[in-house]
Amino acid sequence: MTTIAFPKLISRPTSYTGLWSWIATVDHKRIGTLYGITAFLYFLIAGVEALIIRGQLREAESDLISPEIFNQLFTMHGTTMIFLVVMPMSAAFFNWMIPLMIGARDVAFPRLNAFSYWAFLFGSIFLNLSFFLGGAPNAGWFGYANLTGSVYSPGDGLTFWALGLLILGVASLAASFNFVVTILNMRAPGMSLMRMPVFVWMSLVTSILMALAMPVIAVALIQLSLDRVLDTNFFNPAAGGDPVLWQHLFWLFGHPEVYILILPAMGIVSEVLPVYSRKPLFGYAAVVFAGAVIGFMGWFVWSHHMFTVGLGPAANAAFTISTMLIAVPTGVKIFNWMGTIWGGKLRLDTAMLFSLGFIAMFIIGGLSGITHASPPTDAQQQDTYYIVAHFHYVLFGGSILGLFAGGYYWWPKMTGKRLGETLGKWHFWVMLVGFNVTFGPMHWLGLNGMPRRISTYAEGMGWETSNAIATFGAMLIAVSVLIFIINIIRTIASKQEAEDDPWDGRTLEWSIPSPPPAYNFARIPQVKSLDDFWYQKHPELLHDERGEEPESDEPVVEETHGGGSIHLPGMSYYPIVVALGMVIGIVGFMEIRVDIPGTDLVFPWLSAVGIAIGMYGVMGWSLEPVSEEGGGH
Amino acid sequence: MNLRRLLRPARSRLLFLILVVPAILVACNEGDPQSTFGTSGPIADAQADLFIFIFWIAVVVFVLVEGALIYSIIRFRRRGSDDSLPVQVHGNTKLEVIWTIVPVFILVAIAIPTIQVIYEQREPPTDQGPVLEIKVRAHQWWWEIEYPGEDVVTANEIRIPVGQWVNFTLNSDDVIHSFWVPKLAGKVDIIPGDVRQLAMRADEVGVFFGQCAEFCGEAHAKMRFRVRAEEPEQFQDWLDSMRRPPVELVSADAIAGQTLFAQNCSSCHSTNTWQGPNARNERTRLAGLRLAFLDNFKDTVVIPAPNLTHFATRDTLGAGLIELNETNLTRWITDPDDVKEGNRMKDLATPYRNNSLTSDDVRQLTAYLLELKPVAADAVIEPDSGGGGGGSATERGAATFAANCSGCHSTGDNRVVGPGLAGLSSRGDDAYIRESIVEPNAVVVDGFPASVMPPGFGATLSADELNDLIAYLKSL
Repeated sequence: MTTIAFPKLISRPTSYTGLWSWIATVDHKRIGTLYGITAFLYFLIAGVEALIIRGQLREAESDLISPEIFNQLFTMHGTTMIFLVVMPMSAAFFNWMIPLMIGARDVAFPRLNAFSYWAFLFGSIFLNLSFFLGGAPNAGWFGYANLTGSVYSPGDGLTFWALGLLILGVASLAASFNFVVTILNMRAPGMSLMRMPVFVWMSLVTSILMALAMPVIAVALIQLSLDRVLDTNFFNPAAGGDPVLWQHLFWLFGHPEVYILILPAMGIVSEVLPVYSRKPLFGYAAVVFAGAVIGFMGWFVWSHHMFTVGLGPAANAAFTISTMLIAVPTGVKIFNWMGTIWGGKLRLDTAMLFSLGFIAMFIIGGLSGITHASPPTDAQQQDTYYIVAHFHYVLFGGSILGLFAGGYYWWPKMTGKRLGETLGKWHFWVMLVGFNVTFGPMHWLGLNGMPRRISTYAEGMGWETSNAIATFGAMLIAVSVLIFIINIIRTIASKQEAEDDPWDGRTLEWSIPSPPPAYNFARIPQVKSLDDFWYQKHPELLHDERGEEPESDEPVVEETHGGGSIHLPGMSYYPIVVALGMVIGIVGFMEIRVDIPGTDLVFPWLSAVGIAIGMYGVMGWSLEPVSEEGGGH
Repeated sequence: MNLRRLLRPARSRLLFLILVVPAILVACNEGDPQSTFGTSGPIADAQADLFIFIFWIAVVVFVLVEGALIYSIIRFRRRGSDDSLPVQVHGNTKLEVIWTIVPVFILVAIAIPTIQVIYEQREPPTDQGPVLEIKVRAHQWWWEIEYPGEDVVTANEIRIPVGQWVNFTLNSDDVIHSFWVPKLAGKVDIIPGDVRQLAMRADEVGVFFGQCAEFCGEAHAKMRFRVRAEEPEQFQDWLDSMRRPPVELVSADAIAGQTLFAQNCSSCHSTNTWQGPNARNERTRLAGLRLAFLDNFKDTVVIPAPNLTHFATRDTLGAGLIELNETNLTRWITDPDDVKEGNRMKDLATPYRNNSLTSDDVRQLTAYLLELKPVAADAVIEPDSGGGGGGSATERGAATFAANCSGCHSTGDNRVVGPGLAGLSSRGDDAYIRESIVEPNAVVVDGFPASVMPPGFGATLSADELNDLIAYLKSL
């Protein structure tokens, strides 16, 4: 049928092994693995950055590194942890688990999925190249204007930052659309929304938040890039621009972003607790609803990051109230988790320990958050180490511990081998202690007047002891990460084979082999209830506890492909080509430009090259059949 | 047993919270100059009280929730290899409603005093005596302090009378900063192109540490300042002294240092705002410098720098950074980057740029700056029309130049706001120079904006001063 002549420079690979099969993969599981490995490598990089920061602050008047390097490191530590660790690590779990948990064979747009990953990878490399090309960004992850303008930050660092985040934003947007459509459209028959696992629910809320928040930061970043590259004046007060506009845009993105970082971990914990308590999640509907409400209310609290900006008493009072209100659904989640373990038979395996650690630490972060939801007390705490302590309790004690819980929980499903439990417990306890030793004293440092983001401090401020303790704690965290790495290596080297359902799981991913075959489900499952797999194993409970009659004694399995072969989308090189073209196109905007004689215009020729590559990729992509004849299984 | 082992850390954590933390909170001493506890003024007091109130609520919630968590982990952990299923509970609507509603009440209890304090602290009270107005202009990375009613300008050290409300009007010359004196008041961000107000009162005599709290670039960590609260009489004495002339220089080094300073430093640093009207000019001068800075960022070499009038009376150096003494000042002048990386002196001041600063220069400049202090109140002679009366016409002219012109003109050939004046005599005769002073816009040098130099500027000088000034300018 197709007669369109298109130069087919690259043909799709046919082998399912080797490097090219990974580059051209559209399998959600492989893409999830790529996300996970990349995010973990950035976790190590950001950790090293943090250790250097702690080394510098270990004592007063230290000169381990210069202020300029210090500023680059704290900027890149924050930017990396948020955009290159927690978000992509969440994306790794989304990719791996959403299709498995909803009984699908892949995501809705497999090639778009691959594009997201490659755009993320190239954007992250571009961002980090700045270290070697004249200096990394140095204005903080929040990049407050007008310090970020070309007058006060003349180097290229912040252009790298603005354009790098734009690229990452495109990657996140593509991923979020993909997950939303996958969750809404690809669920197995019978899986109504209120039968979805909580992790899938939180993935849905997170993806919607990403789809809405990323455009906001994209607008701000485009304005910043224009200010920097083309001398526009969006944020330049000398020309009537407004630096506070940046803060509104940034936090209107930045606060939903906080929930983008924490909701996936909350979803993981909501899966782990029932499995290891051998009880259903307490108040499933309330937990789901609380997550959705948090996602919604997260849009109305952004100015609590700006209590000291001087927006006036009315604004501060209003955002106090909205901020305090958002504590209510958060509390609901915590209480329901505790209701879940109450009366259970808790198996304290590593995944469970990390989940319980998540709850314990998140409570502390939430309570310290209440203390600066009050603008008068925040006036003393804003921009101090108290805030650093607070958000590390939420994002490390919360997100990171939650993600580790997910790692231990799903490792056997993803790899076919269990991570070692003994080393896992060492990992947990050393990390928990190290974490508290690092960030606990920071509460006191902040209350004792130590501002954030200072490269050094004077003797005699009363800050030496707490800083020394915090630096020691950071080393403990590093040790715990080393234990984790050793655990991974030993697990990979071991010859064990995990069962398909090692934890007596409740959700569909445990009903298929570990690791799953490329097609996931040989037969698409028919879902009859929440925790359907659990009730297949325990049909008597469905009757006893839910007061519902099972629809039949035997689970009905439906063939969706008429008994023939399962068609999977074929591999494709075009996603990486389009991602490469887009990244080159955006990077070309940076500096490499040619004056067009007789005009004020400049021609960014590299962008033109990038656009050409991207257009070629898009054409090839759109004309490529989803799968070759005879491809797939 | 397992249970005990699990309980022990939990119990000690509770003990820590209940006993140790409040002890730390109370034990605020000299060693914690920026602590937000042990506050010394009503604004910070109210903020600390509110924090303590919320803190104790948080402690109660913390103990209850973490306690319940740890209890249920211990109580419901699986014993042995018990594979039986626990009772399958799916939820409990009544419980869920309770733990949704109870937090709402707690939060309302926190929100009410919070909003009260927000509105109480909106502006200084009008019924507690006169409010002292102080203007603060933040720069990368120092603070310019002005007492607008008094024509006094200084830098990095703020003196206030104890027991009186002070209203700070804050703005910024460059990027966002944040003004914070923890013992007296929580911070307020300073937004360039906008004005913020912050009122506070010190109830105790003392020196209170302050620091920029919003990240503002390379030397953010070293953008500090001090607030010294004094008895009202003492404060008034200081304010008066800032309007008295400096003592006569004694040492030969200081006298040589004065000349060096006038030649190399005075385009950015003034030392003469004790002369009253110049304090007003100081504002104009800095505004002019800032415009020059913004208009010509890439080639201009001048940005405003801290006012050094009566510098020797200060306690600190480098924006509250180190104690002011001969050793530190020598170190600072020798290599400012060594003390405060990022500061612009080495990029901007000619001796550093030309690498021509000798140790003699450093010694002389140090000596000069350390003698910059006001004469005693009873030593003030009836002020005459200008600077010192004695010396040759050129010397008198030099003093007039330092007091009136050096803010915008260097005596070298570098551009400041106005042109450098080295070799002026080769550009025109007496009449040309006189005309340029009296009618600045008659001839405007190419590349310089007209009307920056005030028209009729010459009228502010006496005929003698004008003649002396011309004599001096011709000598350049």
